[in-house]
Amino acid sequence: MAAIEVRGLERAFQGGVKAVRGVALEVAEGEIYAFLGPNGAGKTTTVRMLTTLLRPTGGSARVAGHDIVREAPAVRRAIGVALQEAALDPLMTGRELIHLQATLHRLPRAEARARADELLARVGLEYAADRRVGTYSGGMRRRLDLASALVHEPRVLFLDEPTTGLDPVSRKTIWDEVRALNRAGTTVFLTTQYLEEADQLADRVGIIAQGRIVAEGTPRELKAQVGKPHLEIAIADGEVERAREVVGRLGRALPPKDGLVLVELDGGAAQVAPVVRALDEAGIAVESLQLVEPTLDDVFVAKTGRHLEGDGAGEAAGGAGEERAEQPAEA
Amino acid sequence: MAGLVANARVVASLGARSVRQTFRRPQLAAPIVVFPSLLLAVQTGGAGGAVNLPQFPEVNGFLDFMLAGAMIQSCLLAGNSGGIALAVDLEMGFTDRLFVAPVSRYAIVLGRLAGTAALGAISAIYYVVVGLIFGVTYEEGVGGVALMVLWVTLAAVAFGSIAAAIALRTGRASVVQGMFPMIFVILFLSTAFFPAELMQEPAATVAQYNPLSFVVAGVRDPVVSVVTGAGALKAFASIAGFAALGLGLSALAMRRRLRLG
Amino acid sequence: MNPALAIHWPMVAVLVRRAMNEILRVPGAAIPGVLAPTIFFLGLTAVFGELTELGGFGTDDYQSFIIGVSLLQGSGFTGAATGVNLARDIEAGWFDRLLASPAPRPVILAGMVISAALRALIPAAVLLTVGFAIGVSWPGPFGLALAIVGVMGLATAAACWGCALALRFRTQSAAPLMQAGMFVLVLCTTSYAPREHLQGWLHTVATINPVTQVLEMVRQGFLGTVTWHETWPGLLTIAALVAVLAAFALRGMRRMAD
Repeated sequence: MAAIEVRGLERAFQGGVKAVRGVALEVAEGEIYAFLGPNGAGKTTTVRMLTTLLRPTGGSARVAGHDIVREAPAVRRAIGVALQEAALDPLMTGRELIHLQATLHRLPRAEARARADELLARVGLEYAADRRVGTYSGGMRRRLDLASALVHEPRVLFLDEPTTGLDPVSRKTIWDEVRALNRAGTTVFLTTQYLEEADQLADRVGIIAQGRIVAEGTPRELKAQVGKPHLEIAIADGEVERAREVVGRLGRALPPKDGLVLVELDGGAAQVAPVVRALDEAGIAVESLQLVEPTLDDVFVAKTGRHLEGDGAGEAAGGAGEERAEQPAEA
Repeated sequence: MAGLVANARVVASLGARSVRQTFRRPQLAAPIVVFPSLLLAVQTGGAGGAVNLPQFPEVNGFLDFMLAGAMIQSCLLAGNSGGIALAVDLEMGFTDRLFVAPVSRYAIVLGRLAGTAALGAISAIYYVVVGLIFGVTYEEGVGGVALMVLWVTLAAVAFGSIAAAIALRTGRASVVQGMFPMIFVILFLSTAFFPAELMQEPAATVAQYNPLSFVVAGVRDPVVSVVTGAGALKAFASIAGFAALGLGLSALAMRRRLRLG
Repeated sequence: MNPALAIHWPMVAVLVRRAMNEILRVPGAAIPGVLAPTIFFLGLTAVFGELTELGGFGTDDYQSFIIGVSLLQGSGFTGAATGVNLARDIEAGWFDRLLASPAPRPVILAGMVISAALRALIPAAVLLTVGFAIGVSWPGPFGLALAIVGVMGLATAAACWGCALALRFRTQSAAPLMQAGMFVLVLCTTSYAPREHLQGWLHTVATINPVTQVLEMVRQGFLGTVTWHETWPGLLTIAALVAVLAAFALRGMRRMAD
């Protein structure tokens, strides 16, 4: 049985703005699924529906085997949720917050206390357990949020943009914890606008733009759809044609660009050494070389004609209407 | 001259922003209009029998007596709301944007006070209309009503300057908001709601000398009796005193803020 | 106690404890809620004290007459503040955390309103202390108990009202509406004078306003005699207000997902 099954999920807001337009996906037990898209693409709206915080206006979904509308309480018992921006009460201590979450999940008092200790240690916050959350840094808040979502050992964990705004070190800490959780059997559904996050963490990625999934698959499959890795080789002038002939024996030689010799390699990084060896044996000196692989952004560009990251990513992919469409869910 | 014109335009546009801001934020508008109106209605209906007390001054009705209190309450609260909005601007860094603009820094405060003056005038006119609807007789006619609006407008600037000084000195909206209860202390210790001779001691004695009572009397006289030179002078002097205090403190606070950065 | 609530009592208790942090962990947070009704109590006593000369107040001390209103004003504002806090929690996203948990909706509401009832005891304690210091009559143990029931009951109803509005508007900008609602309910009663002295519209409104019954119940001890006749309408009103307003708040909570 799939941990998450979504069929034609839709959500329209007042004024008819459709934030989610017929999303369909399946996440297997024990999988990490990343929902990748720019701001306003419909990621948060989808997560809010799957976590029972927002009723769909069309389609259906089952989480942990329960319908998100008809069996919402059962869904809530099975899931852990860490929502965007880590909304935590600044007046509570970290330990109190986890204790509260444990009580809401009906853990007996002694068990709740033990679980709080265990989780705080696990996310490296035992030293700040009795400090008020208001004194925590952004990274500490996210780790605490994650810990509180794990208090009842959920079958399915939803993480809405878990590392947005975090520094690289804090981001890596969250990634390590997500991987560890997944190894222990937890299914993870995360949303992100970071290509690297989806690439590094996810078993499968769903790319969403303007409320629709435009591509889905493993990161390797998706990248393979838009092209193969190619090597850019800088060599001495006058040797370009001969170099093209040499590398052409190991892969498909592409037309030169800015004096660089380009060769497409089916085997990616594994084929770099043979190329260098062949050029060396032919007596051609290599000044520099760079392996260029397709990214998920290339996939996004191929599917939508726009870039995912960079200047104005949100507007580029979602458009002003989409930005508005996400608003009500976040209000 | 060109500088003066430019500063006048800044004051006018900041004043307009201040008025718009108040009406767009229920938290700022409600204390100026809703609460004084409710209190006026409840006090008139609840304590209206007071006009039957032997020492109560001759009036057409309790609402005639209470109207000035509501106006002064409203303009005190308008001044406080202006102070809160200024402190929010300071907290959010909006005033920094204005401080680096090529205009007089004092124009920024005067702009806020211009907005408060407009709110004072609006609230005065609103209560005059409320009075007309519920049967208040304005003994001094149109001229008296104009004088009431003038006093309330000037009083709003004076009270607003005190709130602005607190905002500039502390830079914290919560501190200015904390002045809210003090406004009622000052009101209860004045003749805003009842004649001093019928109040309990020691409030009665304090009310007799409270300059706010002179402002209230200045606004009340055109409704319930006649405007006298002495009464008008006392009202004007009291408002001028409040304004001098507020503007002086505002200038000091502004200078300190610019010095400390 | 509702059996369902009893089963979920630990959940209610942690939510109450969390809500009490607002008062217990923020220095001076309780002061505004205490200061406003106290200033009104002292101010109204000083200003309108001579009204008792009109007769019919049941006492010559206006402070004994007005203390009941001030107690309810404090509890009404404390309850409305719960709505403001909920609106802040909704804006900040904290409330989503509660809604995404398996805690039943009535339990989440109970956590908020019970904390309001407890917090209302703070202004009440200060008001009673100040009141007795300036000559408010001792209401007797039964009268005092009824005053406390009235204070906690109205705070519960006010919290339900505030929460219903917070869930409807989902913004702290609705705060004036929450406070003004309580202001009207508490003051459009026999707040300043007995019914026979109320003028025109207020006489009518005070007669139909259910909070008048609560006020008369709270006030009776301070005026000297406690009777069942003055008590039961107040108790019934509190129960009805809480039931109706809690139903509105729960409906609002269900509609959060719409």
